[in-house]
Amino acid sequence: MKKTLNVFQFYKANQAFVYRLIEGLGKAVWMVLETFACIFKLEINCKSTIEQMVEVGWRSTPIVILTSFFTGMVLALQVGNATSNLFNEPVYVGTVTGFSMVIELGPVLTSIVVTGRVGAAITAELGTMKVTEQLDALYTLGTSPVKYLAVSRFLACFFMLPILTVISNIVGIYGGLILSTNTWGLSTYTYLSQSLDFMTVRTFIHGFIKSFFFALIMVIVACYKGFNTENGAEGVGKAVTGSVMTSIVLILVTDYFLTTLLVALRIK
Amino acid sequence: MIRVENIYKSFGEKSILCGVNLEVCSGQTFVIVGSSGVGKSIFLKTIVGLIKPESGIITIDGIDITKCIVSDLRKIQKKVGYVFQESALFDSLNVFENVAFGLRSLTNLSEEEIKNRVTKCLTMVGLKNVEHLKPANLSGGMKKRVAIARTISYKPNYILYDEPTTGLDPIMSDVISDLIISLKKYLNVSSVVVTHDMKSAYKIADRIMMLYEGRIIFSGTPEEVKNTDNEYVRQFVEGSSRGPMQQIDRTFKMG
Ligand SMILES: Nc1ncnc2c1ncn2[C@@H]1O[C@H](COP(=O)(O)OP(=O)(O)OP(=O)(O)O)[C@@H](O)[C@H]1O
Ligand SMILES: [Mg+2]
Repeated sequence: MKKTLNVFQFYKANQAFVYRLIEGLGKAVWMVLETFACIFKLEINCKSTIEQMVEVGWRSTPIVILTSFFTGMVLALQVGNATSNLFNEPVYVGTVTGFSMVIELGPVLTSIVVTGRVGAAITAELGTMKVTEQLDALYTLGTSPVKYLAVSRFLACFFMLPILTVISNIVGIYGGLILSTNTWGLSTYTYLSQSLDFMTVRTFIHGFIKSFFFALIMVIVACYKGFNTENGAEGVGKAVTGSVMTSIVLILVTDYFLTTLLVALRIK
Repeated sequence: MIRVENIYKSFGEKSILCGVNLEVCSGQTFVIVGSSGVGKSIFLKTIVGLIKPESGIITIDGIDITKCIVSDLRKIQKKVGYVFQESALFDSLNVFENVAFGLRSLTNLSEEEIKNRVTKCLTMVGLKNVEHLKPANLSGGMKKRVAIARTISYKPNYILYDEPTTGLDPIMSDVISDLIISLKKYLNVSSVVVTHDMKSAYKIADRIMMLYEGRIIFSGTPEEVKNTDNEYVRQFVEGSSRGPMQQIDRTFKMG
């Protein structure tokens, strides 16, 4: 007998799982649609949006600066080492560091760091509200949890993550600069001209577009996991872990496909 | 009028409600009693639409809440208040903001009026000078009273209380019972009260009904409850561990 991959058999075997997956996707889509509806109707709580922006943007800045600075330094160090081995002198240090930061590491690293900080916090807060019936209480008081809680977080992440990414780019390039001038004896001018000469507006836009998508992934996953938390304190723990893991995996996988698409569209 | 017809609800294999009916006319106080875990909270939550029953009809002032449109839903939310068993206060907001929440989302009162109303409602439940505290810094009984104040603040026509007096001292319990009675008297509020506190039940109820194994096994006035020869009701009211409702193995042998 020939063994074929039978979609129907697969479905039969994993029926419960498939149902849950579809149900989950449906709920997530519904949540996102409701969020967009609130935003288009301008049903936005300005005070809490600003509070969230401070939390997501301002309070994440130190950690983003710290991680980007070291990432920039290690990039410059590795590129210098590798090219020294090959050509007996460090070449392209500024170029590779700059490019890597702007198109790849800036957006990805920032979104992962922010997921660990903000995504986890969002899921924990909403999840706790769910298991202590505060979301039910919101409903009985005539307020939709999406409108009251998700919209402000959504806007905050969507606008703050790209800004953090720009900060990350600048700090990363600066970290590379410090290392290159000290370790490889490059002049500030050489390093910066290497970094910036080949960079076009499109290069910059490439990284910027990615960061918007990563922000969406992070905040949608975080809110969804929070709103659907079950089973008390243990459930909150599981939801937070699930939220961070799902976000990171989705960000890294999306990164590949998004890059392919952007390159095909000549935004590179 | 709240009208509940033939509600069925189960979790997996376990059925919680099997055909429960209820009709609450305006200005009536309905008390629901029953042993812990029979599904009283689940029943109250289905009435406000927090839990969807598998079948059955729930109408509030003629609107079917299981299949109504958003604008109708808002009207109903304004009419129906719910006091949660575990209070469910918003712990990021202080007491004042908690009580003002319903006023802000459901009414168009000015800040000045909101302030007065909040202070008044807190006084009605016997709380003073707690406006600035966060729920985490309140005792269980205080939380419960803040939750009651939050619900009565926007003057709903129907209030569903899930154990409003549990965790309160006897004097405070009586204050809350009086509050429920005066809301009925002056604002014509109808209430559905889940309680284990028979003293308060006799005082406030127009009708008392008992839930057992997913069904209403008894429904009557407080007088009828006192004089009934229904064994289940007698056992519950007398609070006896001996009777038709056997919950535990009486041998008390361990190991
Ligand atoms: N999400 C759920 N999944 C499975 N079973 C549940 C769920 N929620 C509640 N139950 C079960 O439903 C039953 C009724 O719960 P409910 O909270 O309504 O009890 P109750 O009558 O309010 O009790 P108490 O007086 O102790 O508050 C319980 O036996 C509980 O185990
Ligand atoms: Mg209960």
